[in-house]
Amino acid sequence: MSAATVSTTAQTRRRPARSRLRGLMDALLLLAAALAFAAMGSFAEARAETPQAAQNAEQGLVRMSDVVSGGLLLPTNQPGLFIEAPRVATDFHVTISGPVARTRVTQRFTNPTDGWVEGIYVFPLPTDSAVDTLRMRIGDRLIEGEIRERGEARRIYEEAREAGQRASLVEQQRPNLFTNSVANIGPGETVVVQIEYQESLRLVSNSFELRLPLVVAPRYNPLPEVTQSVSIDERTGFAVNDPVPDREAITPPVLNPEVAPPANPVTITIDLEAGFPLGAVESPYHAITTEEDGDSHRVIRLSEETVPANRDFVLTWKPAEGNAPTAALFSETVGGEGYLLAYVMPPVSAPEGPAPARELVLVIDNSGSMAGQSIVQARESVLFALSRLTPRDRFNIVRFDDTLTVLFPDAVPADRENIDRARRYVERLDAEGGTEMLPALVAALNDRNAQAATLRQIVFITDGAIGNESQLFQTIASGLGRSRVFTVGIGSAPNSFFMTRAAELGRGTFTHIGSENEVRGKMEELFARLETPAATNLQVRVAGGTLSDIAPNPLPDLYLGEPLMVTARGIDGTGTLEITGTLAGQPWRVSLDLAHAAEREGIARLYGRRRIASLEAAASMGRERSDVDRDILSTALEFGIVSRLTSLVAVDRTPARPDGEPLTSSEVPVNLPEGWDFEAVFGEQEAAPAPAPTIRAGNAPAASQRFAMVTTAAAPAADAAAATGTVATPGIVLPSTATPADRLMLMGILTMLLSGMLGLLIVVWRRAASLSMTTEHRVR
Amino acid sequence: MKKIKAHFLALSVFERLTALAIVALAATGLVLIAEGLTIKARAAVGTVLLDRAFERALETGDAERPWPWADTRALARVSVPRLGTSRVILEDVSGEALAWGAGHVGGTPLPGDAGTSVLAAHRDTHFAFLGSLEAGDRVEVLRADGRLAVFIVEGRRIARFDAPDIDVHSDTPRLVLSTCWPLDATVSGPLRLIIEAHAAEADANGPPALTDDPHDILAGAQPQRI
Repeated sequence: MSAATVSTTAQTRRRPARSRLRGLMDALLLLAAALAFAAMGSFAEARAETPQAAQNAEQGLVRMSDVVSGGLLLPTNQPGLFIEAPRVATDFHVTISGPVARTRVTQRFTNPTDGWVEGIYVFPLPTDSAVDTLRMRIGDRLIEGEIRERGEARRIYEEAREAGQRASLVEQQRPNLFTNSVANIGPGETVVVQIEYQESLRLVSNSFELRLPLVVAPRYNPLPEVTQSVSIDERTGFAVNDPVPDREAITPPVLNPEVAPPANPVTITIDLEAGFPLGAVESPYHAITTEEDGDSHRVIRLSEETVPANRDFVLTWKPAEGNAPTAALFSETVGGEGYLLAYVMPPVSAPEGPAPARELVLVIDNSGSMAGQSIVQARESVLFALSRLTPRDRFNIVRFDDTLTVLFPDAVPADRENIDRARRYVERLDAEGGTEMLPALVAALNDRNAQAATLRQIVFITDGAIGNESQLFQTIASGLGRSRVFTVGIGSAPNSFFMTRAAELGRGTFTHIGSENEVRGKMEELFARLETPAATNLQVRVAGGTLSDIAPNPLPDLYLGEPLMVTARGIDGTGTLEITGTLAGQPWRVSLDLAHAAEREGIARLYGRRRIASLEAAASMGRERSDVDRDILSTALEFGIVSRLTSLVAVDRTPARPDGEPLTSSEVPVNLPEGWDFEAVFGEQEAAPAPAPTIRAGNAPAASQRFAMVTTAAAPAADAAAATGTVATPGIVLPSTATPADRLMLMGILTMLLSGMLGLLIVVWRRAASLSMTTEHRVR
Repeated sequence: MKKIKAHFLALSVFERLTALAIVALAATGLVLIAEGLTIKARAAVGTVLLDRAFERALETGDAERPWPWADTRALARVSVPRLGTSRVILEDVSGEALAWGAGHVGGTPLPGDAGTSVLAAHRDTHFAFLGSLEAGDRVEVLRADGRLAVFIVEGRRIARFDAPDIDVHSDTPRLVLSTCWPLDATVSGPLRLIIEAHAAEADANGPPALTDDPHDILAGAQPQRI
């Protein structure tokens, strides 16, 4: 009996327990669901801008930063977004003489709309190329551009635009991005734009390479590299975001054949005068025909008229076996002054045996601005560097925020024990504090064995979020000694201005690591350079002749089989050019007879471009900004090249646009090609402020409104805009200004409430359980 | 303590787990609240520290670091006399800077120089007062170089963060104050509240836009304009 009772009691106790258990589980599940929901809500909100980008892509809208080959952009009613005008034909005519290529690009576009438009023609070019000629044919008028001071050029252009005249303006937005604004293109009119630029070609692994931008379909899926090349410094506050955050998810929509023809009618003619007996001349992606004319001269053409639009045209040429050029001299006389381009290949010393011993100083920035992904990448980079050291090397580690730690009192041998210690130290580093870079730089440059012959390399890993740049540049320039500074920029938006200049002054190189999976590849490249002996201490002089200036000045060190390329002015055609330096620890000397220099066009401009680059570097070494600007301006005007401070402007004095020609959406014809959304191209601009009252009647208000939008995106070059202080309006991006404080507290309170309720539930449940037990006992 | 332990041991395994889960939940809640409060506290402390730093900057005439390990400097102080509010403006708008104070968007001119200066700060701390600004309000910006710029609020609008439609190179000095929109939301979104203001020069009664000696204006500059 009693046994039975006990078992019954146990059962009665267990059953409610199980149902309560289920209730509790339900409550927990509910809680989890609620939390997940809240979290998802916040994520969904944060990603709200993503579909917008996808939508832009579907409409065929592009940002200026998406353009990787020359393109005529027509403004839309969405600031910063453009529609690319259909390209009808492109012709490249390239003349190559030795290491200099002069390219004439002629492109024909049509205005597909029924209104008068202003378009922006955007073209990315190699970084040290110099644009010096602009010609434009609109309708039957031919206009030639003139070089002017940037602000003045912009004024001339704007006046012409308001007056209804055809005008165009070439401006340098960044050293590798130029824009050409074209005002008053009539309905259905064809515009022919011709620019000429000059670039110097580099010899990479014994072969020269020429690249012509042909890609026409980047707008739906901009390549990450492209985005980076025009992405903007975070410190200046402009867009650095990837314009298409979920690029993988976007499938390129089928293009309207009207808008983007599947094939791109391109003609290419390359007149190649290599200057040395030629070996293989190849185009890896396109079929070409080659006419031979002697040992060193070729004329190359495309064998098909239409080419795939998804590949840049690349031409490579090699010297014939055993005929590798070791030196070349080109000269040009302009205005009674002699200019020279000297090209010298240092003897390639195949690394015999192990790489030479060196001293490596790794400097790592662990200030607050490096928090997050940046410090992870920085740590990875240092750990990689440590893994590349051999026991013959010596190394040290410097860490800085607003404090500074030098790990070893002096550089120590890279033996297992020291490496392990360094590794453990680096793995522990966290990002916090301010950025006091100067003491770290001084500590890294502090060389205890300044007279030693070994290489001393400083690898400086930072995001460069600093303000005292000129001070740092001076420190590098004055304290360099035998050390070389290699900057490694970390994160999506490092201060690349600082990094590039610091590396130039430190006679090293700049490496940008944008994401964690780039660390390995980029660091391997860097270490390949670090481990190969370089030609250093290069000097140039002329014996028995004259020489007034060289550019670049000072001459950079050479890495991994790079040739030395130096331009000079004030040559009188006599004497010998003497180049001296140290190659793999041994003195190296080359003499070239200037009387044998070959006459070539464009050498003077090449000198001008390089002098401007040298002047920009001088600015970072603490020269007064206004002095530098004055020199750059006079140099650019003298050589007629587009620069940060000069633009090419062309105006057709005959007014083209009839006065009072209206431009409203009501007059839009319906026969626009499919894919052209008139509202997107010319629609009312509600968000824009009312046009300034000074603008005269007719279609000018519309034009000026659109122009305001154009300029908004036309000038990603904050530095250029700041320097000239005039024209370009940078596209401001407002920072995110919401703290998670309220959300955190709200979630915290909710969580606390839930836990309290659960606790209460449990207490109630236990009370009930014990109560029922006692009741049962009492009943019994 | 012992009593709690005894109670805990008296529980069944399931009950123990549940009790632990509840404690963990409560702890998470506390941490979240603490984190939120830290952000608020940082903003509050930042206001005080930055005010001091700015006073020092005014004396020396040069922007200096508010505290030795700071990553930024105080550039100016913006105040709205009607609301009795004032905020120190830091030189950049990195997340680190905005945690402490309001920031000056790089690439835009300093307030009072030709062009549109853009200032931004968090909506729930330093720039919470933007919601109470009205057209016609005076906004005074005292810069670290001792010069004072006075602006009159024109109005407000809402825009996306990447298309704020601000003319940085306006001919006359203009000021834009920006913060996240909506003001009372707890999640971040793409919208921004934009307060536009023009230089007070156009105002018949007001002082000129930029004055070298702020104290003249602070004392009321009416008599100077005859």
